[in-house]
Amino acid sequence: MLDLASITEYVPAFLDGFIITAEVSILSILGSFILGILIALMRVSSNRFLNYTSLVYVDLFRNIPFIVLIFFGYYGLPEIGVYMDAFWTGCLVLSIAVGAYVGETIRAGILSVEKGILEAARSFGFSKFQIYAKIILPIALTISVRPLGSVFINLILTTSILSSITLNELTGVSKVIASTTFRPFEVYVFLVIFYGLLTFMISALISLWHRHLNRYLGEEAS
Amino acid sequence: MGYGDEGFTIYDLLLWAEGLGITLWIFILSTVIGLVLGVLIGLVRYYHITILGKLLMIVSESLKNSPVIVQLFLVYFGIPALLQIDMTPNMAAVITLSGNTAAFVAVIVISSIESIDRRQLEAARSFALPKLVILRHIIFPQSLSIAMPMLVSLAINQLQVTSLVSVIGVIDLTRVGDIVNQRTFEPFIVWPLIGLTYFILAKLIAIVGMRLERKFSAYRLVGEL
Amino acid sequence: MIEIKKLHKNFGDLQVLKGVDLTLKPGEVVSILGGSGSGKSTMIRCINGLEGITSGSIFVDGFDVSNKKELLEVRKKCSTVFQQFDLYPHLSVLENITLAPVYVLSSSKKDAEAIALDLLDSVGLADKKDVFPAQLSGGQKQRVGICRALAMRPDYLLLDEVTSSLDPEMTAEVLDILKKLAREGITMISVTHEIEFAREISDRIVFLDQGRILSDLPKDEFFAGDGGLADPRIARFLSKMGEFNGQA
Ligand SMILES: Nc1ncnc2c1ncn2[C@@H]1O[C@H](COP(=O)(O)OP(=O)(O)OP(=O)(O)O)[C@@H](O)[C@H]1O
Ligand SMILES: [Mg+2]
Repeated sequence: MLDLASITEYVPAFLDGFIITAEVSILSILGSFILGILIALMRVSSNRFLNYTSLVYVDLFRNIPFIVLIFFGYYGLPEIGVYMDAFWTGCLVLSIAVGAYVGETIRAGILSVEKGILEAARSFGFSKFQIYAKIILPIALTISVRPLGSVFINLILTTSILSSITLNELTGVSKVIASTTFRPFEVYVFLVIFYGLLTFMISALISLWHRHLNRYLGEEAS
Repeated sequence: MGYGDEGFTIYDLLLWAEGLGITLWIFILSTVIGLVLGVLIGLVRYYHITILGKLLMIVSESLKNSPVIVQLFLVYFGIPALLQIDMTPNMAAVITLSGNTAAFVAVIVISSIESIDRRQLEAARSFALPKLVILRHIIFPQSLSIAMPMLVSLAINQLQVTSLVSVIGVIDLTRVGDIVNQRTFEPFIVWPLIGLTYFILAKLIAIVGMRLERKFSAYRLVGEL
Repeated sequence: MIEIKKLHKNFGDLQVLKGVDLTLKPGEVVSILGGSGSGKSTMIRCINGLEGITSGSIFVDGFDVSNKKELLEVRKKCSTVFQQFDLYPHLSVLENITLAPVYVLSSSKKDAEAIALDLLDSVGLADKKDVFPAQLSGGQKQRVGICRALAMRPDYLLLDEVTSSLDPEMTAEVLDILKKLAREGITMISVTHEIEFAREISDRIVFLDQGRILSDLPKDEFFAGDGGLADPRIARFLSKMGEFNGQA
């Protein structure tokens, strides 16, 4: 039977877990975003080496399960003298892995910038760097808000896997609560709903942001 | 390098093969069940069987928008506690992943049915073809060609998702990696090898998927002639 | 002065320009006519370095287009107005116009905006400075495109069928602006299908056919008689353009 009363005393612990989930998510979103832009630029670059390296990067990190990567990072980094706790290991590996998805998303955005606009920019004498910074990336990012949003929502859901390297984020905390209360069903149903509402709210925000950024595209948007 | 350093044995190779077998078994089983369930859910939702459709929608949205790891915990720890039944890790794994796959398949099914040219459907209706014939000869082949690429990338994704069953104690490939890693303390050998195994599996699925895509898009072309 | 000498341009096996010689002196207005696929756009694109040239040379005030370092100088001297407008969709009208002056010419933002506002005013779009390109009509977009080009204070203006994406009414509003510019003495090279417009603004008319210049004549000679002076192909071309019938 559902027994919500038994859960209330664990609210503070749950919130602590939520804060850790939020922190890891925000840091990893930033990290993967920066990495993703680099990867996207490498992917569209005409330099063969950069191109190939980024292709391998994307292919690897999109085809190896995150939990394998996180175990590798968690047990492997100390072996090479890098000591990081579960929190920072999580942020690092999430950024690297999700960076591959962000890269592919932004690359698609870059490729959909109209050729004529690029030629216009070139004809005015902008440098390559200026064309990327002032024209291509702003347009590509605007186009990519929605797909990037789903990549980042996936990232938030993926933070749950960090519970398996002892990080007490939402899922880790809930595991503890479930085993001390002997109410695993209630706890996990609540957790499913909680994550569901969280992602729902975030995707609503993303939609608003998308509409705001694309407002000037008029009917061409959507 | 300390106490656990026992080096690799031939037993590790057997363990690896066993883990690979379990991973593949769970992947195939949950993909097949998920496909069947997903298509059923998709059809129910598309044909507006209202209450059932809405209920299924809520369930499939929750499955899509929550971490698979939590779903695994819910099925493995939560359901036995609620219903007072026994559940093995492998059972819980197959149930969870089938449900999860079904949720995504349902979405793919609906979007591909919707993307079929409506005029073509109306044309078919105007010949007064029975609903089942329309479904079998017009909707099904065409939606399949539209759905195939999406199903292939779903399959590649679900292969990775199977790795999560290690957290409820299924001795799959990832768990084998964990066990061997704990014993040998050789993360730089163990995890790249496990990662490589998954990578190769993903590539194999992609190759099979590409064949299927080609086959069904050929079907589509013939269908249009 | 723009000097094009023996310009050849191939796309793979396809020879698009087969030895074009053309000189444009300061203050001159030259119209390029020619059938579809004759290489008009390609020629314009070679002048500002959007296409590399296969052989021959193009110099703009002594700067070599095919030299990477000098190309920037060429681009500062030549501004292009595009058929499809190609405004930056994510920037406001004002930002569209000031971007190149600020980042390429290193003008101050203030100066660039003052110039941009003047230009917008002169084409009757001062009130549109803060809207985005998607909120403009085609004619308005092209007027912004002209402002964007003029904001660079170019010595040469390159125009490639700047009205062919516009309906007649909008075409008129854009052509009026270009006529005014021509009267003010700007140097320009304009690919167009608008014969009347070419007749009105040009000093010279160049007729391109299959990658070669078929005729390069002062306007009065080009249009003199009933095509008598012109090559029969030109006469046919002009009659296809419709408007020319009965005029001569
Ligand atoms: N990037 C390219 N690659 C290959 N062929 C091209 C390319 N650009 C142009 N061409 C070809 O070069 C020829 C000349 O094209 P161009 O655009 O210069 O013609 P145009 O005179 O401007 O014609 P229009 O009046 O239709 O605009 C055409 O046959 C065209 O197909
Ligand atoms: Mg052209």
